[in-house]
Amino acid sequence: MLDSTKRQKSRGKSLDSIPTDHGHNSSNLQMPQGKHYKKVFLEPVLEWSFFKGDKVEILVGDDKGKQGLVNYIVEERNWVMVEGLNCNYRTIGKKDDYPGMMIKTEAPLLVTGQVALVDPSDNKPTEVEWRFTEEGEKVRVSTRTGRIIPIPKLAEETPDYKTKATYTEQEKDTTAEEVTSITFQPTLRTFEMDIAEKMGIKEDRIPHKTYWY
Amino acid sequence: MAALRTGVAGVVGLAARMGRLSVSVPSQVTRPSLHTSFVTAFSHFRLTPWYASLHTSSSHRGLMEFFDNEKNWGETEVKVGRSWRIEELRIKSNEDLHKLWFVLLKEKNMLLTMEHACEEEYQVFPNPERIDKVEESMKNLEDVVKERNRAYWLLETGEDGEHHGEIGTDSLGRRRFIRYREHTVPYWSTGRPWRSRETPSITKFSRLMREKKFLEKRRALRRIRDHVCMLLRRFPHMDLDVLQKKYPEVNVKALRHQKRSLGHHVHNIA
Repeated sequence: MLDSTKRQKSRGKSLDSIPTDHGHNSSNLQMPQGKHYKKVFLEPVLEWSFFKGDKVEILVGDDKGKQGLVNYIVEERNWVMVEGLNCNYRTIGKKDDYPGMMIKTEAPLLVTGQVALVDPSDNKPTEVEWRFTEEGEKVRVSTRTGRIIPIPKLAEETPDYKTKATYTEQEKDTTAEEVTSITFQPTLRTFEMDIAEKMGIKEDRIPHKTYWY
Repeated sequence: MAALRTGVAGVVGLAARMGRLSVSVPSQVTRPSLHTSFVTAFSHFRLTPWYASLHTSSSHRGLMEFFDNEKNWGETEVKVGRSWRIEELRIKSNEDLHKLWFVLLKEKNMLLTMEHACEEEYQVFPNPERIDKVEESMKNLEDVVKERNRAYWLLETGEDGEHHGEIGTDSLGRRRFIRYREHTVPYWSTGRPWRSRETPSITKFSRLMREKKFLEKRRALRRIRDHVCMLLRRFPHMDLDVLQKKYPEVNVKALRHQKRSLGHHVHNIA
């Protein structure tokens, strides 16, 4: 065939309701290759003071003055999501006869000016500093009252466990007592010499002198 | 560690591969040599598998040790503990470390096999951070062994037995950290020139490379400067000390007077 494929120019938006990558080799449809996103300017924060489960007060928006617990943190954007507050609502599945379902989603708040930690002594928002106690522990201290704001228990959560106490030992884990047991006996031997002795390997040969350069 | 049965030829090879095992007289000391012989596992035909005599552990699953426990196949999450810390490894004896190394090595091989198998089957490999944990543990273990060997060498010989190097130029004239290599003769006896002389093509290449590096560095610095100016424009109440600490390459106080740092608010300087 001489007249080969004429490339069809798409006029306007694609008619597909489901976004496709149009034959390009990309598995991520939400962040397609080649799409340019606007640069995000982050106010630099030296010491991150917000943890999951912290009580914070919202300083801006509709929910100004309300206090809530931190649910989710995105340090890369200086974001903090407060449980049930500063939300936006969207309706999905609306039809002529069906009113649709309303979904409430928490909107992120900037750590730099939109949210403040609550001082436990008087339940009011404060600025926070990191200081050292007499024992040498680094703690958050409210600059207004001087009261230490402890780090909440929920912050202990990692992808491996919710709290250290609730972690169950797995098959391939070494138990705590085995890990802390001291088996090292210092001797005047290299690692290889020690192993050879214990394995009964005798090496009496002396290697020829070599030069390293 | 229990003495291994020496019926298998592989053990002798393994011993030779472990490098220098004794230091007799300081003047005759040289650094540990690299592996000298190839380990041969198959010495003669046996009815029982050859590895049965080599095993010191209780598991005898054969090639299936390359794969995870069957109940973990197809799981979305496999829970494991954290990596070994260097402080925890320092209190362990050399035999324990020796055993642990092979345990970690086998675990790493198993995880890499599972990762590849998942890729082949277009499945999601659960918890890929397990490989990083094992690698971290192995790195810490190697560091502890290096520390111990270094201590012995410094005490006995006055020099650490480590593989040294220096910053020099490679064959293309680029600045690289070149590791020393082992030679049987000193450098002055080879008759060859000490370091390769620079040819005209190398000179030209170095000049162009240097220019390219300089331009890259200048552009990177300009990018940082522009970014800082934009930050100053958008956040007029920002803490300048914090900004300076975050971007130490630029002078934040001087950049405030730039036209680019002016924002649409009353807090501008100039």
